[in-house]
Amino acid sequence: MRAKLFTSLAIGVLGLLVGLWLVHPPATRANGDKHEEKGGHAHVPAPLEYADVHVPLSVWTDPALIARGKEIYTTRCAVCHGDQGDGKGPAGVALPLKPSDFHDKDGVAEMRDNYWFWRVSEGGQVEPFKGKGSAMPPWKSDLSVEDRWAVMAYQHTFSGHNGPHVPWEHPESVAMGRDIFAMACVPCHGVAGKGDGSVGPMLAPRRAPQPRDFTSAEFKFRSTPSGQLPTTADLFRTLTEGVRSSGGPMTIGLRGHRIMPSFQHMPVAQRLEVLEYVKSLNRGFWERGAVKTVTVPAAPTLTPERLARGKKLYADAECLACHGERGRGDGPSASTLKDNRNLPIGTTDLTRPERFKNGARPEDVYRTLVTGLAGTPMPSYGDSLEPDQLWDLVYYVLSLSRGGRTAEAGSR
Amino acid sequence: MTKAMFVIVAFIVVGVVSAAHSVADEAPISGTVKAIDTSGKTLTLQTTAKGKTRDVTIVLKPESRILRFARSTEPGKTGFVEHSLSISDLKPGWIVSVTTKHEGGNEVAETVTVVMER
Repeated sequence: MRAKLFTSLAIGVLGLLVGLWLVHPPATRANGDKHEEKGGHAHVPAPLEYADVHVPLSVWTDPALIARGKEIYTTRCAVCHGDQGDGKGPAGVALPLKPSDFHDKDGVAEMRDNYWFWRVSEGGQVEPFKGKGSAMPPWKSDLSVEDRWAVMAYQHTFSGHNGPHVPWEHPESVAMGRDIFAMACVPCHGVAGKGDGSVGPMLAPRRAPQPRDFTSAEFKFRSTPSGQLPTTADLFRTLTEGVRSSGGPMTIGLRGHRIMPSFQHMPVAQRLEVLEYVKSLNRGFWERGAVKTVTVPAAPTLTPERLARGKKLYADAECLACHGERGRGDGPSASTLKDNRNLPIGTTDLTRPERFKNGARPEDVYRTLVTGLAGTPMPSYGDSLEPDQLWDLVYYVLSLSRGGRTAEAGSR
Repeated sequence: MTKAMFVIVAFIVVGVVSAAHSVADEAPISGTVKAIDTSGKTLTLQTTAKGKTRDVTIVLKPESRILRFARSTEPGKTGFVEHSLSISDLKPGWIVSVTTKHEGGNEVAETVTVVMER
């Protein structure tokens, strides 16, 4: 009888534990980071509008900025995050999502600088934090960019890490991107991202294009001025859409095919993760300062006069030397062109806008004319042509797919 | 045997119900103050949970506390000091966190903590 009662009690206690577990299950692994496992904040990739906000390296160790950050932190952040940065401020105790503990070295190491800046700027008013009930206020209206950097630098001191908060100091911050890169990108771009993977040379033996060397300063497809690194949005576009072969006499067998596949089926968060890893291979992304992009003015109305001016510019700017009189990529210089690795490179067939690597909408062609294609013979016309002239040329280039008679825009 | 089974099932039901009840009462709500009804003693919060934004009406009873933390003004003391506020001190737009309990189908505030005044 006693044994039966004991069994009943034991099973009852087990039932109670099951009940508690059902109501309060263990934290799930939202994005694979250890900090999230411990019930912390999901270190999801920063959205594209914040992805290029990399904190200048000197900020993290600048005593004056850290002192300024301490002042701001003490008046604005400590009430929740605590004077000691341990997330135990008096107003933070009852919050649904606990304030970050900056002493948590793993958690801090997993935060990328652009994520951190995004969180300070937007607070908990954006997803996925809003949906989790975050009460973190947005500070972008109250604090300047430099003030936000200063606060971050001060918060960073609690972690005990003395150097700049960058991926090469904290490889765990790009661990997920590194794993995706290893699975999806290494065959072409190589283990170190130098464009020397085993598959690359088979795509186009001894000729361009070859897979991009992410450690170099030259990226073809950009919205940034000539000589600068691309934006994360530029990289995202290339990753999403892939790169088509341009056609032309030197790319027989590859015409119209994607020489880089499209990764549009990869979830957006994973694409952003892999791009954070790709950027970590090139310190220039942290050293370039504020990012400027090419402004594409509103497209003017197409007129026969504009088309005629574009045709003249096409000859005067020597486009026909490479692209040919009819734009078929068969100009007199086409067979002699080489890229920056001294590999023969084909000329884009302008009569096939669907093969334009950098997009075939009028604004895409305008951007390509301004930025040029780094590492290839395609120069930048940003300094030599006025915006109105660039539009003349854009319309003429797009008209070549119809024998120069009309100028209907191609589509991507 | 039937008696033993009854005891087991009863324990499981009591366990689940009590666990659910205790968690619901402890779950804090954070959000932006949308409206204050000083005569009706209610507070409307705009809050988001599981991706859905909704308005939650919180009832304030005499025993409900509204707290704001500020730095001590006493010489030599730098820590935070708790200040009690009344419902009329709250302003729309402030971010608050509220611990509540269910009473008669209402969310009744235990403590309202001001996170940010703006």
